Amino acid sequence: MTDMTSENPVILSSKEKPKAKKLKLSSIIDHSILIIGSLFMLMPVLMAFTTSTHDHVTIHKEGLMLSIGDQFAENYGAAMFEKGGFTETVDGLTMLMNSLILGIGFAVGKIVISVLAAYAIVYFRLKFATLAFWIIFTTLLLPLEVRILPSYEVVHSFGLSNTYTGLILPLIASATGTFYFRQFFMSVPDELVEAAKIDGAGPFKFLIDILVPISKTMVAAIFIIMFVFGWNQYLWPALITTDETMFTIIRGIRQIILAYAEGNNIPEHGQAMALAVIAVLPPVLIVVFFQSWFVKGLVESEK
Amino acid sequence: MKFKNIAAAAAIAWGSVASAAAYAETEITWWHAMGGQLGETVNQIAADFNASQNDYKITPVYKGGYEETLTAGIASFRAGEQPNILQVFDAGAATVIAAKGAVLPVQDLLNENGGNFDINDYIAGVRYFYADANGKMIGMPFNSSTPVLYYNEEALKKAGVTAPKTWEEFETKTGPALKAAGYVPLSQSHLPWIFTENFFSRHDLQFASDNNGYDSTNVEIKVNHPAIKDHFTALKKWKDEGIFGFYGASWGDNQKPFAEGKVAMWLGSSGSFGGLLQTAEFPFSSAMLPYWEKVTKSPKQTFIGGAALFAMSGKSDAENKATAEFFKYLTSATAQYDWHKATGYVPITEAAYELAKKDGHYDRFPAAETGIKQLSLPAGEWTKGYRMGFYVQIRDVMNREYGRILSGEADAEEAFKNIEEEANKLLSRFADTTS
Amino acid sequence: MKRANFSNPWMPLLFLLPQLSIIAIFFYYPAVQAMQSSFYLEDPFGFGSTFVGLRNYVETLLSDQYRKAAIFTVVFTFLVSFFSLSISLLLAYKADKVLRGGSTYKTLLMWVYAVAPPVAGLLGVMYFDQSFGLFTYFVADFGWDFKLGVDYYDTATAMVVVAVWKQVPVNFIFFLSGLQSIPKSINEAALIDNNSGFSRFWTITFPLLAPTAFFLLIINITYALFDTFGIIDMLVKAVPANNPMTLVYKVYLDGFRGNDLGGSSAQSVLLMILVLILTVFQFRLIERRIHYT
Repeated sequence: MTDMTSENPVILSSKEKPKAKKLKLSSIIDHSILIIGSLFMLMPVLMAFTTSTHDHVTIHKEGLMLSIGDQFAENYGAAMFEKGGFTETVDGLTMLMNSLILGIGFAVGKIVISVLAAYAIVYFRLKFATLAFWIIFTTLLLPLEVRILPSYEVVHSFGLSNTYTGLILPLIASATGTFYFRQFFMSVPDELVEAAKIDGAGPFKFLIDILVPISKTMVAAIFIIMFVFGWNQYLWPALITTDETMFTIIRGIRQIILAYAEGNNIPEHGQAMALAVIAVLPPVLIVVFFQSWFVKGLVESEK
Repeated sequence: MKFKNIAAAAAIAWGSVASAAAYAETEITWWHAMGGQLGETVNQIAADFNASQNDYKITPVYKGGYEETLTAGIASFRAGEQPNILQVFDAGAATVIAAKGAVLPVQDLLNENGGNFDINDYIAGVRYFYADANGKMIGMPFNSSTPVLYYNEEALKKAGVTAPKTWEEFETKTGPALKAAGYVPLSQSHLPWIFTENFFSRHDLQFASDNNGYDSTNVEIKVNHPAIKDHFTALKKWKDEGIFGFYGASWGDNQKPFAEGKVAMWLGSSGSFGGLLQTAEFPFSSAMLPYWEKVTKSPKQTFIGGAALFAMSGKSDAENKATAEFFKYLTSATAQYDWHKATGYVPITEAAYELAKKDGHYDRFPAAETGIKQLSLPAGEWTKGYRMGFYVQIRDVMNREYGRILSGEADAEEAFKNIEEEANKLLSRFADTTS
Repeated sequence: MKRANFSNPWMPLLFLLPQLSIIAIFFYYPAVQAMQSSFYLEDPFGFGSTFVGLRNYVETLLSDQYRKAAIFTVVFTFLVSFFSLSISLLLAYKADKVLRGGSTYKTLLMWVYAVAPPVAGLLGVMYFDQSFGLFTYFVADFGWDFKLGVDYYDTATAMVVVAVWKQVPVNFIFFLSGLQSIPKSINEAALIDNNSGFSRFWTITFPLLAPTAFFLLIINITYALFDTFGIIDMLVKAVPANNPMTLVYKVYLDGFRGNDLGGSSAQSVLLMILVLILTVFQFRLIERRIHYT
């Protein structure tokens, strides 16, 4: 993706001069709108962060805080390392690890099976190609949310509840990735296969030595999208993990709201906000740092 | 389903290796819905039980709210992975008890495992709520609570009133005085439980056909009663006059303003006592659930609420024995007294109640005795409890319609007609699931 | 299809096997089960079930509550799509236009994509809280007694605001990439015509963005239908009461909270049909896009 601020000072300056005044006013308006928009996006999470640095009594009395408090170490320490639950094994760190495994496992699993399936569909003369295509793409019709009850029973009956496999596999059972790689492989020039065939390369060799390397950027882009998707899963992990040591950090967020609704204790607002900040940090950092891949992945995958 | 068998075999093999290593302890699991301070107490009970002997080990697992715990238990049962003990709340009792074969009646379980079960050991108010039509106890009443009125002693002193005995007194005296003193006089935390189910019990009114639903699944709800419609009409009026506050449908929404000192009186559960001791920064006490003098001159006892422990079927004899041992431990006078002290849930046996009295617990905390006193009031014809299927959804319907009454979207007449119609539809659906 | 194919007969099957087996076990089997149980009333524990034909469908479709949830879903979807599309279109247009700071704005406006819906919902609970919510505080000055979880419309407002906040980044990214693909020469030609910025946008830029906007509309509808689950669940604090709810949330409530497997399955099947219609629409749209570009 090209950077949008590809300024060309030479051309622009010649144009700017005659109506500099007008441009100035309109650019002030433009910047104001963008700043307001940025604040609208930024404020909620920023305030979650500032609030998370106060102790819960202050928050309880005064609500969300804009200043930075002195409880940063305490709240984040507690959110990350304080063990809760009967088995005393689940802390923020464990939940982060589980989220990481879910995010990476989901992304890698999805990419591997979709690359293979898309390869089969695009590059092979297949008897049941159309049938396979439709079998796979019908899955786009039905999000996990609407078939969640029977899915839950299937995973249970395989004894896969509270396992990473049970957590990840049902989420992979859709065609989004396959669809994306199919589109991409279709755009790869036919000459490549012909050349490879002439060189005597078989299907395996072509896939590993040629197709995968040229798909690298695409894979990276789709990896980021899938990782964020997996990390942010909510309903499914909430149902399928009953063992505290298997909780993901987003599942942990649910415990916060339940405690809030039950009202038996003064909610630990500071720690809750700290946990919320910890939960959004990894995917946000990935999206921000690998922005160009992320944008590419999003724009390409949703097409 | 070959895969399933292999997995199961592997699990069994692994299980036997693991248990052989751990001094042949029989391990059982207990899924519960006790969060926060209550959850800590549950963990303590389990730890104490594990420390008290070497043969059994229980692991409690917090499964979220009551509804989630029930659903998780059902789904795991269907998949053959049920826990040994499942905590099921009052509204879910019909679902579990109607599914014959899902649970081992606690009465049978204890008798088979050498615990001489006598239903008369239990206090009168808890004996039959989780029993079948013949009076056999199916679920072990665990956290048994009843709605009580908590009040901020400072606020009442400031307003120069005492806790109201009747709603008439609240309407004409307590409410206006507390309002004048600068408080929101009253809030409550569970409209279906406190102002519906227990309303019928307190005033000894029939709640459902077929013996409040105990005798059949072909049951019709009798909720559309003039007395309760008047009550909700009054509630709306009180809300408009500023003597009743409604902060949302979740429990904490309404408890919070009381704990913060904004609301002077709060109708909650006797089981909220332990939590309030930690959160409220003012002296508080409790009184019985008020009643309408115009409806009855002799108010009766209330139903128990809270939840019971059910022993799930499909477990080995050794594990069932462990479950029975845990139940015996749990119903011992000392364990019950500890639980009662820590949480405010009522002790379920006479022996535990006597122990608490003897130990002077109620001299130190008079508020802790309100619940059990209320449960020991004279019984009426309709105070045993109720048994209705899909009751979780029926409660959701009630909550919705009550929300509409209080926000002025509907009057009591319309709302109760809706509740009656939708509840009866749900009940007939439930009846058809069991046939 | 490609011209140059491999013709190994068993290898493609091997490549397809992982995908097909996962789909068969975790998609088709559960989906068929959902369809089957929509014709039954079933004891939650699985001890018995009664075939009831279309009763679950009839009762669902005749129910006032289902209709109410359906109407809310439509209104909610419309509001969320409308506001998130217009806000992000405005922001993308301005971000494309400014000479300085464009990439900073771009980052600031897109990162919320990575925030999980339930976390957004939790932030919403804090913002709209009755006693200390910042928003509640703010609107109280204008005489609006905001009551999250009590007033139907207030709760709906909170749901829409949070859902819009969460969806702006996706729309922003697509609009921006759409704007950047418009050749500079077109804009320069328009500049020479000396139109005002406003009319230039509506006459030149917007028509060129229309395909993107149409496509985004589908994305937004899907989002409002399914991906807002976590937001709604948090904002109602897991108690439905007199709160607005979407159709997907109702499937969850009736099936998971209420244990009414038959009724919930019937609702799932109705949703499947809805998604089918949307998808057909989407496929046709994509075909047209590919045709044009």
